[in-house]
This record gives sequence, structure tokens and C-alpha cells, in this order.
Amino acid sequence: MRNIIYILFGGIFILSSCQSGSKNIELFNEQAKLPETFKFDTLGLKVMSSYINKKSGTMSTLYANPFALSNALDGDKSHRAGEVLALVTWKQQADGNYFGADVPGDLQSVEIIKSAIAAKNVLVSYKKYTGKNLDSAPDTLQQEKRITYIFNQRPSVMP
Amino acid sequence: MKKIIILTLSFLLICFLFMQFFRPKIVNSPASADFQAPPNVKAIMIRACYDCHSNATSLRWYDQIVPVYWQVAADIKHGRESLNFSDWQKMAPADQKSKLWEIVYQISAGAMPLGSYTEVHQNAKITRDELSTLKAYVNSMAAVALPDDTAKINAADRQYSQWRKEQFLIKQVPIAPNGVRYMPDYKNWQAISTSARFDNGTMRVIFGNNIAAAAVRTHHIQPWPDGTVFAKVAWDEVEDKDGNVKTGAFKQVEFMIKDKEKYAATEGWGYARFKTPKMIPYGKNALFTTECINCHRPQKNEDFVFTQPIKH
Ligand code: HEC
Ligand code: HEC
Repeated sequence: MRNIIYILFGGIFILSSCQSGSKNIELFNEQAKLPETFKFDTLGLKVMSSYINKKSGTMSTLYANPFALSNALDGDKSHRAGEVLALVTWKQQADGNYFGADVPGDLQSVEIIKSAIAAKNVLVSYKKYTGKNLDSAPDTLQQEKRITYIFNQRPSVMP
Repeated sequence: MKKIIILTLSFLLICFLFMQFFRPKIVNSPASADFQAPPNVKAIMIRACYDCHSNATSLRWYDQIVPVYWQVAADIKHGRESLNFSDWQKMAPADQKSKLWEIVYQISAGAMPLGSYTEVHQNAKITRDELSTLKAYVNSMAAVALPDDTAKINAADRQYSQWRKEQFLIKQVPIAPNGVRYMPDYKNWQAISTSARFDNGTMRVIFGNNIAAAAVRTHHIQPWPDGTVFAKVAWDEVEDKDGNVKTGAFKQVEFMIKDKEKYAATEGWGYARFKTPKMIPYGKNALFTTECINCHRPQKNEDFVFTQPIKH
């Protein structure tokens, strides 16, 4: 009899003990992080749009300062001094938390465009940084193309 | 002394026998709209899920003994309420699809079948091979993008020009059925991550307010501090023939607000979803949050949050 009671209460105990998935996943996305020394967050940029490239398996987010964002919304193609745009690109990886989603993986590059006044003309500068540590990468061949591409993007609808 | 033990035991036994009369009824009604899938997929569901998620519950003798039975009956009640394979075809085809992805997610997160159940019903455990079978099945139904899909491009263009002309100005603050208010400022917050959902062909940006951003900077995200707010924005994907995908029409914005006390009933987070650029609150009544929580619950160890923030 006592055994039966033990078994019963043991059974109740097992049934009521809580269960939880024992996954071991990092809290932060360490692979995708921008180096602290780059101080991206001090640029004061807002999200303008985001992209996926299925062929290269990459994901990008385009950031802009408020001035560049409002110019882009105006559809103004002539550039004014004071615009800052930054395109951050990551390799895509499967979301470890959810089957059905991809999220940013290894950091690939940051491209920064700034427009400034120089001798009464608007001068557009383009800088590219690559790899996990965002090393400066002089890229003269693609510059014009990249500037045109980035300036041609339109903001994602965010009512 | 011996007498006391015998008396106590007899008393317990009588209580135990008496308890058997308190039995909530579990009714098995006919399945008119039963789950349809390839036989190998369906067989997995029947073996591992149907006891709680269909009208065809088959209880073993040991499930029938009170108080075990009470737990079983409660699981079946809640299980059927949240997902009932016997009513599967009553769901819209799109909802059936997204349910399948959620099913795969619940299994791979180890949340389903319930652990308390598999401890007793060992054969209900899902093997790795079975999980692969299910993944392959749902993958075969992933949203396939048509390159240069004119319908999507036109919808996006129309919405964009309306937005630029400020035709979506919202006069009255929309409020979700649980009282959570729409927060128009989300677009000025910091992006903590992005995601591409190939299950339903949308892309998302996840924003965090100042408190969330500070918590990320100082590594205090387990748990997230009170006052944290996340906004997740979803757009259609628009793809060209070179595989470049851009954001198309805006679909919705969802919020999660951390307040341990105010939202204690929903595990410390207030949920809300606002659909279309008109920001129409989602949910018939305050219970819409059950759906949010059921899917976010397996993330309990991460304070119910999926996104792993990216430090910028
Ligand atoms: C012992 C009963 C039981 C079994 C067996 C079980 N579930 Fe559940 N399930 C529940 C309960 C109860 C809930 C309600 C939420 C909770 O308590 O976690 C639930 C919730 C869910 C949900 C969330 C539904 C929603 O609200 O969107 C999914 C999906 C799900 N179960 C899938 C499965 C699958 C797939 C299986 C089989 C592999 C399974 N469950 C087996 C009891 C069960
Ligand atoms: C089918 C599962 C599922 C359901 C149901 C669900 N979510 Fe989520 N939610 C996710 C996933 C997965 C993410 C991670 C981002 C992504 O890939 O979309 C997420 C992320 C979020 C985020 C960003 C913070 C985080 O946890 O990463 C918010 C806010 C959010 N969901 C709100 C809601 C609201 C509000 C509801 C209910 C109206 C809801 N969710 C229902 C799966 C779900």
C-alpha cells in the first residue's frame, strides 16, 4: 500500500514538475556586431531601408541621417551638403531560434557616404570598411557605382 | 502507532477513491475537417499530438486515474483550444501554412509535445529523423517569390506614393484590445536586428526604444528592464531576377512592452499588433495575446524575446 502511495505521489510530482527546453544560445548576436571602436551609434543615423541578396546570401540595412532621409523622401536626386548614409552588410545565417527565418551572421562591410561643401561644390565622399574589424578598404573601382546605387534607394514605408 | 498509520492510509485511500468521481468530461466528437498531409507526416502528428490537439483523444488506463486525470483533462482542454487537428480545414489555407511552421518551431524548441506528457508516454517523443521529415514538408511550402512580381511592385509603389503625400496620417491613436497604444515613434528607435522570414515571404526590422538600446549597451538584457519596448515592422519582399530583395508594401508593426507588474498576466510583456498603414488593431478581444505568448513562450530563458541584439 505504501508503495502504491509513493508511486502515485511520485507520479503526480513528475507530472507537475515543469519542463523547459534546454537550449544554449548566446544572448547577443556576437557574429554580427560592429566593433565598439567604430562608434557607429554616434553617427546619429536612422533606419532607411533593408535588403536581402539571395545570390550572395547577404542582408543589408541602409541607415541615413534625418537630412538625407527627408531628401530621399522628397525624391530629390541633386545632393545637398550634410547628408550621411551608411550601408551595413552581413552574411546571412539561419536563425537558431526559429526555423523559418534568416538573420544577420558575419559582418561583411560598412559603406559610408557623406556629402559636404568644398569650394562651393557639393563633394560626395565614399568610404568602405570590410571584415569583422571593419578595416578600411580603398575601393576606387566601384565607388561611382556604389554612390549611385546608395543614393538611388528609396526609404521603406514606415507610416 | 501502527494503528495510526493504518488509519491514515485508509483515510487517504478513501479520499483517493472518492476523488475518482470528480472527472471533467473529455468528449471525442467526429472530425469533420481533419488535418491533411502526406501519410508519414500525419502519422507523426497522430502519434505525438492528437491526444491533446484533436477530438480523437485516446487515453491509457494510467491517464484515467485522478489526480493524474485532472492534469490530462486540463492539457487536453487547453491543447484543443489552441490547436485542433480535427478542425484543421476550417482554417484559411494561409493560416494552415503558418500553423505548420509554428508546429515545427514548437517541436524543435522542445516545447511540444509537453514534457510532462512524454515522460509518461515515451513513444510520443519526436525523433531527429521525424523532425527532418517535418522540416522538409514545411520547406516544400515555403513562400516562393516570383521575380519582378508586378502585382507586388505596384502595391508597393502605390503605398509609397500615398505615404509620401502623408495620406496615412493617423488622427486618433489606435489601441489594441488589451489596452496597448500604438507608438508612432518606433521608426526613430535603434534597429537591434533584422530578419528574413522565408516561411511567409516577409522581411522585418526589429527596433528597440532608448531603454532597450541602453540595456543592450550595458548588457542588461536578462531580463530586459521595465520600460523596454520592441517594435517589429514587416514588409512584403519584392525580388528582382538577380535575387535582389527590397522591402515592398508595409504589412504591420508589432510591439512588446516590458512591465513586470502591469503585464503580469502575460508573462511581463504587453503585446500589440497594428496592421496596414492605417494601423488597425489586431485581435477580437484581449485574449489575442494567447497566440503571441504561445509562440514566444519557448523563449522563456531569453525573457520571451527571440531577437539576439546586434551591438552597433
Ligand atoms: C499533453 C498534451 C499535449 C501534447 C501531447 C501536445 N501538446 Fe501542443 N499544446 C498543449 C497545450 C496545453 C498548449 C497550450 C499552450 C501551453 O500550455 O503551452 C499547446 C500548444 C501548442 C501550440 C501553440 C498553439 C497556438 O496557440 O498557436 C502548438 C503549435 C502545439 N501545441 C503543437 C503541438 C504538436 C505539434 C504536438 C505533437 C508533436 C503537440 N503540440 C503535443 C498540449 C499538448
Ligand atoms: C508563429 C510564432 C509567433 C507568433 C504567433 C508571434 N510571434 Fe512575435 N516573433 C516570432 C519570431 C520568430 C520573432 C523573431 C523575429 C522574426 O524573425 O520575425 C518574433 C519577434 C517579435 C518581436 C520582436 C522582439 C523579439 O521577441 O524578437 C515582437 C515585438 C513580437 N514578436 C510581437 C508579437 C506579437 C504582438 C504577437 C501576437 C499578436 C506575436 N509576436 C506572435 C514569432 C511569433
